[in-house]
Amino acid sequence: MFSGKQTKPTFKSYLPPLQTDLKKSPQLPIKKLEAKLLPGEIVVNEANFVRKCIGAESCQDDLWGKLVCTNFKVSFIAHNSLPRQRFQCTHRLLGEHDIPLACVEQVVTVNDVKGKQKILGSNQKLKFNPTELILYCKDFRIIRFRFDEAGPESAKKVCLAIAHYSHPADPQLLFGFEYVGKRYHGSTGERVNGVDPGGGLQTPLFDCSSDWDREIKRTGASEWRVCTINQGYFISPSLPEFFVVPVSLADQDLKQYACCFYSQRIPLWCWNHSSGSALVRMSNISDPQQQRKVEQRISSAITKSHPLRSDVFKSDLDKNLPNIQDIQAALLKLRQICVIDSFEESEEKWLSSLESSRWMEYVRTFLRHAVEVVYMLESRHVSVILLEKEDRDLSCVISCLVQLMCDPHCRSLHSFQGLIQKEWVMAGHRFLDRCNHLKRNDKEESPVFLLFLDCVWQLWNQYPAAFEFTEVYLTVLGDSMWVPVFSTFLFNCPRQRAEHSRDFASSKSIHLGQDQALCFPPVWDWSQQFSLKDQTLFNNPLYVGKIATCVQNGTVKTFTHRRSKKNYSSTLRGLPSALRNGSLGPNDTLARRNSLMLRLRSDLSQVREQQETPSERFVRDFFSRPVDLQGLLLPQLLPSHLSVWKLYFLRWVPEAQIPQGGPITAFHKLSVLTDEIEMLQNQLRQYQGAAGTPNNLHAEHSKMYFKATSTPHQSPAPPEYLSSSFPFSPVGNLCRPGILGTPLSKLLNGAKIWLSTETLANETI
Amino acid sequence: VSDTELRVSQDQSPTQKFLFYFLKLMHVLNYPSKGELPLLPEEHVQDSAKDVTYICPFIGPVRGSLSVTNYRLFFRCTDREPVFGLDLPLGVLSRVEKIGAATSRGDVSYGLACKDMRNLRFVHKEPEDSLKKSVFEVLMKFAFPVSNNMSLFAFEYKQVFPENGWKVYDPLAEYKRQGLPNESWRISKVNDHYELCDSYPAALVVPVTITDEELRRVSSFRAKGRIPVLSWIHPESQAAVVRASQPMVGQNGRRCKEDEKLLQAIMDANAQSHKMFIFDARPSVNAAANKMKGGGYESEDAYQNAELVFLDIHNIHVMRESLRKLKEVVYPNIEDSHWLSNLESTHWLEHIKLILAGALRIADKVESGKTSVVVHCSDGWDRTPQLTSLALIMLDSHYRTIRGFQILLEKEWLSFGHRFQQRVGHGDKNHTDADRSPIFLQFIDCVWQMTRQFPAAFEFNEYFLITILDHLYSCLFGTFLCNSEQQRLKEEVPKHTVSLWSFVNSQLEEFVNPLYVGYPSHVLFPTVGIRHLQLWVTYYIRWNPRMRPQEPVHQRYKELLAKRAELQKRVEELQREAANRTASSSSERAGSPTRSITPVQTFV
Repeated sequence: MFSGKQTKPTFKSYLPPLQTDLKKSPQLPIKKLEAKLLPGEIVVNEANFVRKCIGAESCQDDLWGKLVCTNFKVSFIAHNSLPRQRFQCTHRLLGEHDIPLACVEQVVTVNDVKGKQKILGSNQKLKFNPTELILYCKDFRIIRFRFDEAGPESAKKVCLAIAHYSHPADPQLLFGFEYVGKRYHGSTGERVNGVDPGGGLQTPLFDCSSDWDREIKRTGASEWRVCTINQGYFISPSLPEFFVVPVSLADQDLKQYACCFYSQRIPLWCWNHSSGSALVRMSNISDPQQQRKVEQRISSAITKSHPLRSDVFKSDLDKNLPNIQDIQAALLKLRQICVIDSFEESEEKWLSSLESSRWMEYVRTFLRHAVEVVYMLESRHVSVILLEKEDRDLSCVISCLVQLMCDPHCRSLHSFQGLIQKEWVMAGHRFLDRCNHLKRNDKEESPVFLLFLDCVWQLWNQYPAAFEFTEVYLTVLGDSMWVPVFSTFLFNCPRQRAEHSRDFASSKSIHLGQDQALCFPPVWDWSQQFSLKDQTLFNNPLYVGKIATCVQNGTVKTFTHRRSKKNYSSTLRGLPSALRNGSLGPNDTLARRNSLMLRLRSDLSQVREQQETPSERFVRDFFSRPVDLQGLLLPQLLPSHLSVWKLYFLRWVPEAQIPQGGPITAFHKLSVLTDEIEMLQNQLRQYQGAAGTPNNLHAEHSKMYFKATSTPHQSPAPPEYLSSSFPFSPVGNLCRPGILGTPLSKLLNGAKIWLSTETLANETI
Repeated sequence: VSDTELRVSQDQSPTQKFLFYFLKLMHVLNYPSKGELPLLPEEHVQDSAKDVTYICPFIGPVRGSLSVTNYRLFFRCTDREPVFGLDLPLGVLSRVEKIGAATSRGDVSYGLACKDMRNLRFVHKEPEDSLKKSVFEVLMKFAFPVSNNMSLFAFEYKQVFPENGWKVYDPLAEYKRQGLPNESWRISKVNDHYELCDSYPAALVVPVTITDEELRRVSSFRAKGRIPVLSWIHPESQAAVVRASQPMVGQNGRRCKEDEKLLQAIMDANAQSHKMFIFDARPSVNAAANKMKGGGYESEDAYQNAELVFLDIHNIHVMRESLRKLKEVVYPNIEDSHWLSNLESTHWLEHIKLILAGALRIADKVESGKTSVVVHCSDGWDRTPQLTSLALIMLDSHYRTIRGFQILLEKEWLSFGHRFQQRVGHGDKNHTDADRSPIFLQFIDCVWQMTRQFPAAFEFNEYFLITILDHLYSCLFGTFLCNSEQQRLKEEVPKHTVSLWSFVNSQLEEFVNPLYVGYPSHVLFPTVGIRHLQLWVTYYIRWNPRMRPQEPVHQRYKELLAKRAELQKRVEELQREAANRTASSSSERAGSPTRSITPVQTFV
C-alpha cells in the first residue's frame, strides 16, 4: 500500500527514512474529522491519513489528519494540534491549515519512489500515485503534504480535485458567488453570512454619486461635476456609472469624445490639490486623426476648471514606468530568492539577487514618478493628466500615491480604503485578470496592487506616525486578494460585477429583491475575516495616540493637530510663502512635456555637475524643513533608504524570524502606552459630565491590541510569543522541497546554523 | 557639515525637536553670518581666511570664510542665505593635501579626507606674500599635533561636568557585580605594575587553582603575554567567557604545561560541563599561517577536552579595505541603479554578519550549552574584544543600559588594550599607517544592528552610538586616547583630560531610548542573516542632504509620554475636586455617583 518495502530510491529522496515511531501515529483512535464548511461550500474530495509537513529538519512535528478539497479551499483537519502553537490570528473564513483555492499558485505532485514529479493543471491526468503534494501559494507560502499512509487512489483523487478546482473555468465558479448567493435563499431581510454591504461601513465605495459629491466638496473642486452618462454602462464598459468631469464639458460633448478613447474611457478626475490643480487619469486616444483635437478640448476644459487657469501637464506612464509583465517577472524572482532558494545559498548573494529581481527598483520608480507628479501639482500649480494606454494599471498606483503624499485625509484607515475603492475598484483595475483567479492567461497576471501596497509600506516605514493603519493591515489587505469572496478583488470592473451577479442570480433563480445585483461584501467589511479584537492590530498606536481626542481646549495643544481634517485645504495654503513660490525661480519656466522625465533619468550625473533640476530642488527643500505629518509627505528615494517589506515577504521563512524581537516589540510598548492614554481620557470624560457611563467600557472599546496592565510603575515585557513574523507564523507554512534530501549538516542552515541544538529546542516550543 | 540649508526657529514643537536631533547627527550648526565663533574653553582661533571656496559635492561651490582653531575647523558661507556652516573637529581629518598646482589665477585646491566617511574640498587663493602661511598649512599643523610634537586638544580642554566619567568603571566593583571573586575564581595582582603584560589591565580574574608563578609561565606562551583571563561569568551556570591571545605554538608545536593546566582549571571551575570551547576568531588558514610566525592555535592533543572552532573573521587589513570601498560607494553620491550589488561588493555587511555570528555562537555555548569558552584571535585585542563584548551584550542585560555599556567599553576595549591610538591614529599624519583599522566602528555597527532587531532591549538610542563614534575621532575627550591602561596611567590621561562619560552622563536624557523595557536575565539571540542586516544609513550616509534620518519612533513616544503625564494630572485634579465636593455634600447625599469611579492609577 505504501512504500513499506523500500527499494533503493533511484531518485533523490525528499525525506529521510521514516522514523519508526511515526508509523504508530495513524493507529490513533479514529476521530471523526470534519471540515468546517461555510454556507455554499461543499466537499469535493478528501483523503485520510495524510501528513502535513511542519519542520524542515525532521518529520517529528508533522501533523496527521485529513486533507479535504472543497469548492473554496484546501483544508487540512489535523488529528493532533501543533504542539504549543505560538500566537496566530484566527481567521473567520479559514482554519489554521486552510488555503483558499484562489491562493494556490501551483499544484505539484511527486512520487519519490518512481522519481516522478508533475505540475497539475485543470482536467489533467496523473499517471502515478503521488506520495507527496506541494502547494505553492500566491502569498509566498509553500505547503507540503505526504501520502505515505494514505490510500494511493484517494491521494491521487484529492490532488486532481485540488488542481481542478483551483482552475475554475468560469468566474461564476469562484466561491464568492455560492457564498453570497446563499444569503438570498434564507428568509428575506435576514443577513446571512453577516454580509453587510455598505451599511454601517464608514468606507465610501464611490458607487453612488453622493460619494463623489462629497469628495468634490472635500477637495474644493468646485469646477468639477459628477457625470451620469455611463449609468447602465451604456457608454464605456470599463468605467463606473458615476465619475467626475470638468463642468465645462457637457454630457453631449463627452458622449462624442468617448469613442475616441480606448475602451470609450472618458478621462476621469481623481482629486484636486488645494491650489486648484486637478489630478486626472486618461487612456490613450485610439483615433489618431482625432487625437490633437480631442486632446486640446480635454486640456482646455481642465484648464478652465483651474482657478488660475493653469496649464495641463501630461505624464506618460507607459513610457516611464515598468509594464505589468516586468512587474510580474520581478515578483517571481523575488519569490525565488525569498522562499524557494535555500536560505543559506541565497544568503551569500542576497543583495545582488535582490537587485537583479528589480522589485525594489520598481518600487522606487513608482514612488519617484509620484513625487514628480506631486511636484507639478504642489509647486508648479498645474493640473496633471496621468496618461496610460488603458488607464487601468499604472495610473491606479500613481494616482493613489500622489494623493497619499499630498492629502493627509487619505492616511486615515477609512479614507485609505475609500482611495482604493475610488482609484482601483471603480476605475476598473482588472483584479480578476491581474490576480489570475481563473488561471487562464498568465500574461495578464501581475501584482500591480501588491506593488502599490509595497510603495505605501515604504511611505509608512519612513513616516510611521502619519498613517492610521499598521503594516499588519497592509499585509492582511494583500492577503485578502486570495480570499475570493470580496467584491473588491473579484472583478475587472463594476460592469463585470453587475453582469456576472445578474447572470448568476438568474441561473440559480435567486430573487434579488431590492438589490440590483448580488451584494458581495467588500473587503473593507473586516468582520468577515477577523474578530474585533484581531482588527485592533490594524490600529497604529502612534497615530491613534496622537489624534486621541484632546482633553480640553488648549491644554495639550502640542499634541493635537492644530488643524482639523476639515479645513485641510487651508493647511496647504497656510504654508510659508517660501514653499509656494520659492522653487518657482525666474528662470524656472514650465517644463516642456515629457522633458521632465528625461531630466529625471540623468538625475545622477547632473547632481555631480551641480545642476539641480527644479523638482530636485523641490525635494531638497522639502527635506531641509521639519516634516508636518499632517501636510505634504515625500519619501526619501535614495536606494539606500528603501527596505524590503520583511513582514510581507519574509514572514514565512523560519530562518529569517527574530524570536522575541522585530519592530513588533516597539509596537507592543507603544500600544500599551496609547491604551493608557485612552484609559485616562475615558476617566476624564466620566468626570466631565457623563457621570452615568459605566466604567468598564474601556476594555471593549480600546483601539489597541496590547492593553495596559493593571500593574503600573513597570513596563510590561513584550510577550514571549512575539517575533518579527507576528501575527503570522512560519510553522508549517514554509517547507521548501529538496531541503530534506540534503545531508544533515545542511539542514541546520541559515542563521540557525550558529545556534546549538539546546537553543533550537527551546525556541521551537 | 551640512550642505543642507537650515533655518532653526525658536519654536520647540516636537517636529522642531526632531529637527534638532537631525542637526545634531549632521553636526550642522546655525551660526549668525557675522559675529563670534562659539568656542570651547581653551579653544583659540589660530588662523582664518576669507574667500575660501568649499566645493560641495551636493550643491556646488560655496564661498565663505574658514577659521582654524586648535580644536576644529569652521567654515561659514557668506554668499548664501540662509547661512550654513561646516564645523568639524580636526581629529576627524586623516589627510590634508594640496591637489595639483596653482591655477593661473593663483587658486590652490586642498583635499581633506576624513575618518567619518566624507571628503571635503576647498579652493583658496595662495597668499601673495610667500612668507605668510596659507590657512591650510596652519590646518595641517593643528590637525596632526602628534606628528608636530604638540599635545592633543583633549589635554587642554578643561570643561567641568557635574559628573566625573573617569569614575564610571571600577574593575573590582564590576567583578563584584558578577559575584567575583568566588570559590573558583580569584582576582590576581600579578599584573599590578603591568609587568606580566603591559597591554592588560592591573586586575585579572583567574582560577584559584593557578598560582601567580604559573601565570607568569603562561604569559611567555601567549602572544604579547596576554594570558587567558575571565571576562564574564554566568550567574547561574558559572560558565565563563575567557579571553586571551594566540598560543605561541609555532611550527614545532610547542606546548606549555601551565597553559594546559590553566585551561583545564577554567573548565573545572564550571561544574556543569566537562567540555569547553575555544573560539579562534580567525579563518583557519590564517591561524595556520600564524604558526610560521611562532603563533598558532591550541592542538587537540594538548587540550583534550576542548573543542576548537574557527570563526572566519578577517584581519584588520581586510576590514580597512572593506570600509574604504564602502566609503567609495556611499560618498558623495549613491549610484542609483547598482546600489545593492555595489554594497555587496564592499563585503562590509558580510563582515558584520560574521562577527555577529561568532558572538552569537559564543553566547549560545555559554547560555544554552552551559559551557565555558575561551576566545582569542592573534593578539587578542581586535577581533577578541569585538566577540567578547558582543557576546556579553547578548548574555547580560546590564550591558544594554547606558552605564553598563560604558563599563563594557571601559573593560573589554580600553582596559584590555584595544590599540585605539594605533587603530584610529589620533593626531598622526601618517594616514597610510597599516595599523589603522575600523575595528571599533565595526563593533558599534554590530551593536546598532542588534538595537534594530530588538528595539525595546537597549536603554540607549542611536544618537548615543553616533556620539561615541564622533568622539572616537574628535580628541576632545581623553577616553579613547592611548593604546592601553598602562599608557593612559603613564600619560595621566584621567588627570589631564575629560572623560566622554562626563559629558554623556551629564545629559543622559538625550541618549535614552524611551522604548526600553529593562527585562533582566533576558538573553538576546539576534538573527544574523544578511536579510536582517542593513547598512547604518544614519551614520554612513548622514552627509548626504538627500537623506534625512527617519523620524524616530522615539520622538513620538516621548510626546505620548508627555501627553499621558498631562492627562494624569488632570484626572488627579478632577478627582481631588470630586472628593472635596463629595466631602462637603456627603452629609446630604451619601451615595454620590462619583464614588463609583475607581481611583486613578499612577503610571510613571
